[in-house]
Amino acid sequence: MIIDAKIPEGKLEEKWRNYQRKSKLINPANKKKLNVIVVGSGLSGAGAAATLAELGYEVQCFCYQDSARRAHSVAAQGGINAAKNYQHDGDSVWRMFYDTLKGGDFRSREANTYRLAELSAPLIDHYTQQGVPFAREYGGVLANRSFGGVQVQRTFYARGQTGQQLLLAAYSQLYKMIRAKKVRMFTRHEMLDLVVIDGKAKGIIARDLVNGHLKRFVADAVVLATGGYSRVFRLSTLAIGCNGSAIWKAHKRGAFFAAPSFTQIHPTALPQTSEAQSKLTLMSESLRNDGRIWVPKKKGDLRKANNIPEKERDYYLERKYPSFGNLAPRDIASRAAKERIDAGHGVGRLKNAVYLDFKHAIENAGLHTIKDRYANLFTMYKKITGIDAYQEPMQISPAAHFSMGGLWVDYELMTTIPGLYAIGECNFSDHGANRLGANSLLQASVDGYFILPNTINNYLAQELTEAPISIDHPMFTKIEKEIKEHISKIFAVAGTKTVDHFHRALGKIMWQECAMSRNKLGLEKAITQINSIKEAFWADVKVTGHNDEINTELEKALRLADFIELAVLMCTDALQRAESCGAHFREEFQTAEGEAVRMDEEYAYVSAWEYKRGSFQLHKEKLAFEFVKPSVRSYK
Amino acid sequence: MNLFFRRSIIAGTGLFLCIFMIVHLSANCILLLPEEIARGMYNAYSTTLRENPIIKIVAYLLYLSILLHVIYAILVTFRNRSAKPDKYAINKTEDNSSWASQNMGLLGILLLLFLIVHLANFWARIKLGMGASVGLDAAGNVDVYEVTSSLFHNGFYVLFYSLLMIPLGFHLNHGLKSAFKTLGFYHRKGLKVLARVSVIYASILSVGFGIIPLIVYFK
Amino acid sequence: MEVTFRIWRQDNPTNKGGFINYVVDDLAEDMSFLEALDHLNEILVLRNEKVVAFEYDCREGICGQCGIFINGRAHGPHSNITTCQLYMRSFKDGAIITVEPWRAKSFPILKDLIVDRSAFDRIIEHGGYISAKTGTAPEANAILIGKGVSDKAMDAAACIGCGACVATCKNSSAALFTAAKINHLNSLPQGKPEAHQRVLDMTTQMEKEGFGHCSFTGACEVECPEGISIANIAEMNARYFKAKIFG
Repeated sequence: MIIDAKIPEGKLEEKWRNYQRKSKLINPANKKKLNVIVVGSGLSGAGAAATLAELGYEVQCFCYQDSARRAHSVAAQGGINAAKNYQHDGDSVWRMFYDTLKGGDFRSREANTYRLAELSAPLIDHYTQQGVPFAREYGGVLANRSFGGVQVQRTFYARGQTGQQLLLAAYSQLYKMIRAKKVRMFTRHEMLDLVVIDGKAKGIIARDLVNGHLKRFVADAVVLATGGYSRVFRLSTLAIGCNGSAIWKAHKRGAFFAAPSFTQIHPTALPQTSEAQSKLTLMSESLRNDGRIWVPKKKGDLRKANNIPEKERDYYLERKYPSFGNLAPRDIASRAAKERIDAGHGVGRLKNAVYLDFKHAIENAGLHTIKDRYANLFTMYKKITGIDAYQEPMQISPAAHFSMGGLWVDYELMTTIPGLYAIGECNFSDHGANRLGANSLLQASVDGYFILPNTINNYLAQELTEAPISIDHPMFTKIEKEIKEHISKIFAVAGTKTVDHFHRALGKIMWQECAMSRNKLGLEKAITQINSIKEAFWADVKVTGHNDEINTELEKALRLADFIELAVLMCTDALQRAESCGAHFREEFQTAEGEAVRMDEEYAYVSAWEYKRGSFQLHKEKLAFEFVKPSVRSYK
Repeated sequence: MNLFFRRSIIAGTGLFLCIFMIVHLSANCILLLPEEIARGMYNAYSTTLRENPIIKIVAYLLYLSILLHVIYAILVTFRNRSAKPDKYAINKTEDNSSWASQNMGLLGILLLLFLIVHLANFWARIKLGMGASVGLDAAGNVDVYEVTSSLFHNGFYVLFYSLLMIPLGFHLNHGLKSAFKTLGFYHRKGLKVLARVSVIYASILSVGFGIIPLIVYFK
Repeated sequence: MEVTFRIWRQDNPTNKGGFINYVVDDLAEDMSFLEALDHLNEILVLRNEKVVAFEYDCREGICGQCGIFINGRAHGPHSNITTCQLYMRSFKDGAIITVEPWRAKSFPILKDLIVDRSAFDRIIEHGGYISAKTGTAPEANAILIGKGVSDKAMDAAACIGCGACVATCKNSSAALFTAAKINHLNSLPQGKPEAHQRVLDMTTQMEKEGFGHCSFTGACEVECPEGISIANIAEMNARYFKAKIFG
């Protein structure tokens, strides 16, 4: 099968307009005859559902949480990038496009990435109008800060709550359209499978999490906006409920999965302290602006941080990357930390952390200034760890964060299943092999508000003439039966281990072999190990309670069963990509100094995997760089 | 009839009663003067109150306020009870709020009890002419002073009166500041000032009302 | 460390619930409270019992889902935090910890510690937004907003919708939640055109949902994870009267 990204012709600056000029339109009277399902209510899902409803479509929106406002977009602290050039510092759409493409190590499409930068400026206008209280200067104009290894100030923010404020804006627009009776909202509903009829996405089956009922929903198009899947590592910065099940089911129904192994590891999370830990809390990356990262020079040094003299401390980022130092990009900072920890220099109870020290910053800038900048983060740190970071260094550790990979989508954000779209973090589109800080809120928003509502019409226009499908269609019956069997099978195992037991085992393998650095042997071993976890899971898992009630263990088990399968594909993908690029670091492909070696001639493609019963077939979408020349990332 | 309306009635009538109580307390202060001056002044004052037509209107407003304050407090309480039908097994309200704010209803019932006794002793006797008849003083005014003074020499009554001025203080302290907030006073610095004013106001009234009978009793 | 969890168990909304004690003896001080409950649930699974149903999602204090009443306080013994930010070091070894769901008529219990807070969504549905269609926005800097105004709007906007205010309020009043959203939107120029209608619609819905009156005990602002000031309620009241008079 040839995969066609359907990139419009013309210059980079003209592609999106050229696309819109040619796409099919639907007249308002007909739009209300068309029904769209949106799964997920985060920034992309809520934005898409609200906008589609405003355009006149009938929308059904789903989320597994108790309210659409809980989606994990809330957790993004830092900000959202936009090429407004308000700071007069030489920013432009082109520069933002280039930064994003380069940050992603040239593994994304030029056309998509350019469109992301192009639509960033109107997005700030949009959110401002919706009442997002962005930070402002005294004169009343919007404020900016710099973020994540770029040289301009293009990040807009609302205190440490940018994600929350943007999501509340999207959520309120969603509820505006619910009141207008154009959106039907289904909270506490989890999509369990996609229904494909005659090759087109025609509906979903969702489980009502309150009473376990399986419900059928039919539509003319289905939009997945289900977020990232880094919970495959179990310990991650994601919400506990985040999962990959919707996209995994779609994948098994025929949607290609692109670059599943591209996962970003964030360098500044709090370390794991016990086996029971469920979550790695992110500390804002902005701390690296003033904090210095170090480990003891002596292996296994048991002294307290403040008792280790200056000359016995190894400021390894400053040593290895003198020009960027503590501000090296996320993937580099994470990998360097892992290298030191693996070499036996880790600190903390489980020897899995490094120090982030503010002693010098407090001496130089004064306690007052540091408090002014970071007081909320220091307070949060104290709440969680009980440690006063003004007195002794913080302990931080890398943690699984963002999935660049996801369902393969073309320029229209449509997957390889006609009528099935993937937007936001759950697709693979704009970030390539690594995502720049403050670009995730941007991509989710732009996908949901601006792109999808202007591309879905191109598909739906032809659906107007199709005969409507009812929920009694045999395909619905068949798939519902499969789901019922799947659920019964989980209960029937009645083994001796909890779901979390298997999730911990999976997470350990993935963290060891498929996170910050990977190698052939390790990945091969991991695939074997994951397959045995799969066997053990289906032979020995135990879920108590019933299907027809709120059953959080069952929810976890269903999600984990999918994660286990996804993990195999992630390792398979990492294995086939015999190069290092962005967040994907293969130990076999590095320079003598430990820098990534990219192999553009062989690997300048997007890997798109097709599901074949029990195995995966690789398709390659060649990345043509017509407008920029891929360069080597160097942060030395 | 909504949440705002009901609360505003309570707040508005409450504030009106707050003003009345200042007037009432200033009248009580006359009792502290030597008897020969106090009797005349006190009786003249109370005659004016009874006979001035404007004050008569204010008096009817006063009765209405007390009535509405009580009725709406009951309505509000019913609604609030129904909004929280099940109580917590453990609820440490003392960790997040003042005792008075959590128990305005209880304080209100105590004050209502006081008010009934208080009205029965003064208002019913003087205005409705119930019980033993009240004589006239030298100036020909009804000798309210005599009624008050004799009650304030009754140990049980003084104890009852003075003790119940403690809940009055708590009720007024929370009531005054929350009445302002209910009616939409939200100036941040102003609210801090208001909190202090409430404490001062409540203390003066509570101590003032409470101490006068004791002084009269022991004089 | 060892603690006894005294947990409210209730199978469904109509069942009568009750407390059941669970002793867990292998907890660590740096476990979060929710992780301790996770751990208890793993033990229950292995004992072939139903797990305790409780809610959580982000576990970093921002999603607002983890509302639990612990030892007589919303979100546990500390002020201004969420349950997921509560750690076992806050309890003594051997402690008995009473764990209850939010209690309010408008938040019916679905199971164990899980309540239905959709009343909040319905309040937002009735005007907690600015009616602006995607694609209609003017240039962001075309409307200047003073830093003071913007900061104050942000203070109110910080609400995470956890429901602690309703849970802790003796009257189950949703005034703090509703006020926070009204003040956020009504204080910004973008929210002005619909300001009066917003106040009236949202407060009417708040009343319909069955919440009680605000009597300014101040408990809500102490339990609010974002420390949203009770002055917001007074401000909402002012906006309400203004809307009634001029709206």
